[in-house]
Amino acid sequence: MAKLSEISHQKSKKKNDGSNEQGHKSHRIRKSGASAKKKSKSNPNSNEGLSKEQKKINNPKAFAFTSTVKAKRLQSRATEKEQKRLHVPTIDRTTGEPAPFVVVVQGPPQVGKSLLIKCLIKHYTKHNLPEVRGPITIISGKQRRLQFVECPNDINGMIDCAKFADLALLLIDGSYGFEMETFEFLNILQNHGFPRVMGVLTHLDKFKDVKKLKKTKQRLKHRFWTEIYDGAKLFYLSGLIHGKYTKREVHNLARFISVMKFPPLSWRVSHPYILVDRFEDVTPPEKVHMNSKCDRTVTLYGYLRGCNLKKGTKAHIAGVGDYPLSGITALADPCPLPSAAKKKGLRDKEKLFYAPMSGLGDLLYDKDAVYININDHFVQFSKDDGANEEGVPKGKQRDVGVELVKSLQNTKYSVDEKLEKIDAREVADREVLLEPVEQYQHEIKDEDGELDEDSDTEDDDGLESLDGGKISDRKTSSQTIGDSSDEEALYSSEQRPPTQNNFKEQLDFHEGRVRRKAIFENEMDIDDQKDSGEDDEDGQDDESDSTDNDATENGDDENLSTHSDFSADDEEDNEDEMGNASKWKESLSERTALRHNINLMQLVYGKPASKSSTEMKDTSEEESEDDEFFKPKGEGNKKSKEGVNDNDVDIDDCSKFLSNASIKDWKSEDLIASIRDRFVTGDWSKASLRNQLSEGAPGDNDDGDDAVFGEFEDLETGQKYESHQDDIGDSHKDDDLAAEERRLKKLALRAKFDAQYPSFTTYNPFSLSFLMKMMMAIMTQRLVMVKEMEVDTLIRRKLNWRQVNIAELNELDEVTRIEIEGYRTGTYLRIEVRDVPFQMVENFDPCHPILLGGLALGEENVGYMQVRLKRHRWHKKVLKTRDPIIVSIGWRRYQTVPIYAIEDSNGRHRMLKYTPEHMHCLAMFWGPLAPPHTGVVAVQNLSNNQASFRITATATVLEFNHAARIVKKIKLVGYACKIFKKTAFIEDMFTSDLEIARFEGAAIRTVSGIRGQVKKAVKEEIANKSKKKGGHAKEGIARCTFEDKIKMGDIVFLRAWSQVEIPQFYNPLTTALQPRDKTWQGMKTVAELRREQNLPVPVNKDSLYKKVKEVQSIGYPQVITGSSAFCIKAQRYTFSKRPLLENRRAVVMEPHERKVHALVQHLQLIRNEKIKNGNSRKRRRERHKKWSVQRKSKFQEETERGKEGKVHTRGKTKEKAQKFIILILELSAFAGASGI
Amino acid sequence: MGKVSYMRLKGSQNLRLRLLLSTLSTTPILIEDIRADATWPGLRPHEVSFLRVLEKVSDDCVVEINETGTKLKYKPGIVIGGRHLIHDCGTSRAIGYFLEPLIVLGLFGKKALSIRLKGATSSMTRLLGKSLELYNYDTVALICITNDSKDPSVDTFRSTTLPMLKQFGIPSEGLDLKIQCRGVPPHGGGEVILSIPIVQDSLKAITWIDEGMVKRIRGVTFSTKVSVQFENTMIHAARGIFNHLLPDVHIFTDHKAGDQAGKSPGYGISLFAETTSGCFISADTAVSYGRVDDEGELDDKKKELSPPGDIGEKIASVLLTKIEQGGVVDSTHQGLLFLLCALCPQDVSKVRVGKLSPYGIEVLRHIRDFLGVKFVIKPDPSTETVILKCVGCGLKNLSRKEMLTWDDIPFKDLLCFRMASQSTSLIRMGNLYEHNKVHNIAVNGPQKFHVLAVDQSIR
Repeated sequence: MAKLSEISHQKSKKKNDGSNEQGHKSHRIRKSGASAKKKSKSNPNSNEGLSKEQKKINNPKAFAFTSTVKAKRLQSRATEKEQKRLHVPTIDRTTGEPAPFVVVVQGPPQVGKSLLIKCLIKHYTKHNLPEVRGPITIISGKQRRLQFVECPNDINGMIDCAKFADLALLLIDGSYGFEMETFEFLNILQNHGFPRVMGVLTHLDKFKDVKKLKKTKQRLKHRFWTEIYDGAKLFYLSGLIHGKYTKREVHNLARFISVMKFPPLSWRVSHPYILVDRFEDVTPPEKVHMNSKCDRTVTLYGYLRGCNLKKGTKAHIAGVGDYPLSGITALADPCPLPSAAKKKGLRDKEKLFYAPMSGLGDLLYDKDAVYININDHFVQFSKDDGANEEGVPKGKQRDVGVELVKSLQNTKYSVDEKLEKIDAREVADREVLLEPVEQYQHEIKDEDGELDEDSDTEDDDGLESLDGGKISDRKTSSQTIGDSSDEEALYSSEQRPPTQNNFKEQLDFHEGRVRRKAIFENEMDIDDQKDSGEDDEDGQDDESDSTDNDATENGDDENLSTHSDFSADDEEDNEDEMGNASKWKESLSERTALRHNINLMQLVYGKPASKSSTEMKDTSEEESEDDEFFKPKGEGNKKSKEGVNDNDVDIDDCSKFLSNASIKDWKSEDLIASIRDRFVTGDWSKASLRNQLSEGAPGDNDDGDDAVFGEFEDLETGQKYESHQDDIGDSHKDDDLAAEERRLKKLALRAKFDAQYPSFTTYNPFSLSFLMKMMMAIMTQRLVMVKEMEVDTLIRRKLNWRQVNIAELNELDEVTRIEIEGYRTGTYLRIEVRDVPFQMVENFDPCHPILLGGLALGEENVGYMQVRLKRHRWHKKVLKTRDPIIVSIGWRRYQTVPIYAIEDSNGRHRMLKYTPEHMHCLAMFWGPLAPPHTGVVAVQNLSNNQASFRITATATVLEFNHAARIVKKIKLVGYACKIFKKTAFIEDMFTSDLEIARFEGAAIRTVSGIRGQVKKAVKEEIANKSKKKGGHAKEGIARCTFEDKIKMGDIVFLRAWSQVEIPQFYNPLTTALQPRDKTWQGMKTVAELRREQNLPVPVNKDSLYKKVKEVQSIGYPQVITGSSAFCIKAQRYTFSKRPLLENRRAVVMEPHERKVHALVQHLQLIRNEKIKNGNSRKRRRERHKKWSVQRKSKFQEETERGKEGKVHTRGKTKEKAQKFIILILELSAFAGASGI
Repeated sequence: MGKVSYMRLKGSQNLRLRLLLSTLSTTPILIEDIRADATWPGLRPHEVSFLRVLEKVSDDCVVEINETGTKLKYKPGIVIGGRHLIHDCGTSRAIGYFLEPLIVLGLFGKKALSIRLKGATSSMTRLLGKSLELYNYDTVALICITNDSKDPSVDTFRSTTLPMLKQFGIPSEGLDLKIQCRGVPPHGGGEVILSIPIVQDSLKAITWIDEGMVKRIRGVTFSTKVSVQFENTMIHAARGIFNHLLPDVHIFTDHKAGDQAGKSPGYGISLFAETTSGCFISADTAVSYGRVDDEGELDDKKKELSPPGDIGEKIASVLLTKIEQGGVVDSTHQGLLFLLCALCPQDVSKVRVGKLSPYGIEVLRHIRDFLGVKFVIKPDPSTETVILKCVGCGLKNLSRKEMLTWDDIPFKDLLCFRMASQSTSLIRMGNLYEHNKVHNIAVNGPQKFHVLAVDQSIR
């Protein structure tokens, strides 16, 4: 290994040297030596070297079509390929910066996943990462960010990771070969939309033999290709140097990642989702103190991906459940892309990375604060902390006294907080976040103390350090700093600049750690009430800092914070809002735009925060308090609104606008003149102006201005100054418009190009090469357009939409924009979720990424789903109906009980007991609905110790229904109890007369195949002994008619279908609510239960196979059997043992008779002999003849061979046939001669 | 998830809109105080009738009404659609009341909807019997009043509403409204057949702000159980107004007699103006004796019907007023337009309308409540119109069966599939290369296919 590494080291050195040179050497063809000789030998006819085109020119005939069929096939294949290329692009609705791409590193345990991530991080940021926990965001290029996630080794984690991966790096132990995990993961990926996949072979240094290594590489590569596609990239990491992958190889891998394109996946572009990279518990601490198992409020942070997230969307947290999002706030990007200055590459300062769960990135941003983590070592403890240190002997818990003091500190703090919170709640329903966060950190601090002691030993052992669970992130942060403190310090100082100067710092002492809370200046005036308490402590600091603040930056931040206010403060007064607005809305144009919106929008939607008369309430009991609390206000609201609009909740439901009170007299000339231009008979130019004007700048007001606003004047008060401001805003706008137009044109061109060459999407639009390529693209597109007009128009229409969307939305100001389109993808969001079970916090493990997926309309409902399912070919058994399976659909994972079925040709869904072996079947189950065409993965066993393949089946959702119509066959069996001519009474088939009434007219059949029909229930007098005779009447005897008379012993069948009920059961997998290493246990299969309880499989005796009784053989006369085609078969039958009469009797002959008999026998003997001889002679003669013929034909063949191949073969077959006929004739002659 | 949480609403206003939105967004609703203080509390017959229609076209929807009818619980099901449905609408409201929501609902069904709507009459059984014979149980049909002064008439639906749907990418095949019989208040007796195709995936967002210029005016007059002369008078009067502006005016007559004329005498007119940019602006009314259950019934009976000449002139004037107001649709269709915009995929839709109608405003509010879509409403001062913008909620037709696109079919030449758009044409493919026809389908874009059978060995 050492040798190998040395070599590679040298290699890399060489390459590094080479990289300094400009340009590459071109390849020189060998002119001497072995390879040159080989080449010259291989092409003596010079034709070899020519390209195909040249050959075609030289010898056109050789490339002409020889067969029309082939030509047609080729042509259609060509068109087929062309069609395949043409596809309507999925419209990309994302605007602005894309969220970091998620790179999931997956592989079996001990394959080097974390090491790879560490190496890649090192490559990108030049920082060492001590441990990989949670997503790590880095900036990989000027336009690109990446988020690395290590896929956990259990199947739940793999399923979740497959749902958010943009690129999956599949790590494969080269020395061992493929493991099941890789294939399982691939299968999951394929069913949840296939993102990009790259294989990485590791542990290649274990091969000593180079040849063997080469062969293994080849073998693995080909196996990999069969699984994905031919040519799929498989990367080789040859070995370790100083415990790390070689720099060169990591560099290459990074290059591969950096050029990777990520196609949109249909499920993801229609659902918003967040890969959570930071997780906090913000439950009020006193609530937790009172009841540690109370439902928690948590905040989740992460980049928004997929599509825009609107307020009021419900979301699914994988492994936890469905929750409404009670608070969404857009935060400043913690890892922003570098500014678009013109320079090559990234500066070191811009190589940010952000990994709060790994404890890196010392800045943490919140809605209204920024946290800076400071290592424990740097903390100067305050008075009580001195005692603390003494009281804590190494490796032991703190003593009781210290605990007491601590708890006192805690409670004191929280009382303050409580007071403040009450205020805050009353003023506005704003969440107080800061303190809870800190509080949470206190709690975990306790355990921290214990663990810190032996952190060095635990460093290597990832698993043990997980014991801390929730505290892990804090802990690592301290470790990190301990390891490489100087580096960290440097790093943190680098990270600060972009957001540093608009917040103040505030020092808090908390249990041995100083936390410098940074408060934004603007927050101070909004909620100065809240801060006042804290201000006492360090008021001077605040003042001095506040003066330094930059005005513009401040404004930006204000913007952000105000829309959070907008969302949160439902009850806040509007005037207040406007007051705020006047402060921070700097540009006039923006302001006027806002005014415009609000006026009409207010009219329609009421005041920004108030709700309409149709108040939305939840019926859940817990919110009743709130309802009462808010009632008076809501009602007041309603009243005021009613004054404006309709005063009747029971107003007639009519779309027609009837109140056209004054119908003008349209005969008068003035009026006609006023609308003349609306008709084609009028002035066209004026009419077109009408459309243009309004499209261009809404500010360009004519005389009509007043009239329009006159309509709204009586309803809206703040109208007067509007038109003035319009004019002022105009000049600003004109410039903007021109610039905007140019920009849009560029964008349109770019989009066109993207559509044509989706592979170049990530190019910088300003680079020269891009422009050139674009030109080329446009030219080629022209050509293409002629050819594929229809498709092209379709594509273009779609792309235009993108431009239109961007243009339209850019017009709006931020607040309205978020209201209209929701939070844009790529923004860093803080999402608050309430009433989450405490287990989620307790069992939180940063190594298991949390996925938060938004649900579309109707997806939270439950119903029957029909999927087309196929058992996985590697799963060993077929699946049994009603055996619970765990399915993963959309974002969800849940256990459900499926019923398998197959569709008969008449559309009936017939139940199957087991899935077919190699076929698709339908499966119906109960569960949360997912839209059609969603991929499904089914798993039966979640445990990690299962050796075999864990994915049992894959499926696609076909449709969902509220009713499930699956039937199974049922055979009703009855016996004849009385038979008339063709009518019979059948008993035991039905249990009651009512049942018979249901089946009147149903077809029945006897075993022997006589068909019949159910008529009616039998009157008791006829069928049974009547009551008079003492027997009690039996119900359920049916009168049936048959096509023939049936026998008493016949069994009669009625084939019917009975509805199968699908169990209404589903059980969401709550894997995030339990320790991750524990296997989730849900409903068990019957087989499992039997195994556990040691119960035998019940046996139905009738179903067992018995020895078949011998059927009495039927003899046939030999005359028949001899001549029949089945003569051979007939021999099997044994005929009667007794010899015939002729053979049995003894014949005594007369002397004369005896003589005659002897003579006849003699004659026969002679005759037989004669025939024998004659035959042999004949045969000999014939054999001779044949031989001579053969010789002759052979000669002929040889002469004719050159002429035509086909005739020859045909002749040969003919000859064969002739021979065959001759042979038959011969045989028959022989038979005839022998007199048989 | 197990517990159903209802959205609470109050009052009887916009009941059908609420029910419609509730079905589309699968939000259960609970409406209280439905005319609680009125002399006749509770739901009106037409509202009950509308609930019945909902039950007919959807699967597993649950409707609970309290004894007085002042409280309604509605849990929506899946819209199934289907052919040959029949519904009796009653006579309290005209067919337009039912058509408006049904059109939108039908688009998001599992199967294409075809319903026959009828107005109830004393000879209901006869009518029903006839229809059953004719349609073999399989079409949705409504019986009712087709023309009314309160709701948009069926002619308007044919001429204006259905073309509007095409703007949203709904195929015109299968989109149809047939008028079998006409009926006017008070006794009705009309009958129409409405068929609506389903949207395969979702609607298409629109930018529709070009009103264009009116290039032609068309219209239909009808008369039931009255002389044809009424129609001619109306046409004459209407033309008299339009002649100052436009020569291209054609108003057709539709005189119904016998069974097709319904039960009551009446006449009416429906006019629409088509612009150069494909907008339709309509106005209509119908004249007949008042409903029996209306207040002041006796007066209505006595009152003379307004003369046809006045009606013609009045409706022509209304049409001109609507044209003057501007917008790509008239005030009646604003609500529908907003709703369709809100149901579009997550693209920006931009439309121009005239003055916002009260119903339009209500629709906007309800859309906000149910679908979470807010519109940006901007007045356009130069034209005295309003421009509305929204980003659609991205509603997809979830109830449809899964259709495979061309790309999804793995081994095309071994499949046997059916084109979804024309459910009758069955194409069997032995070998793809032999069937150029099939090829063309693939070229023509994102048509979807319904795979009937997949050779299982190839998957």
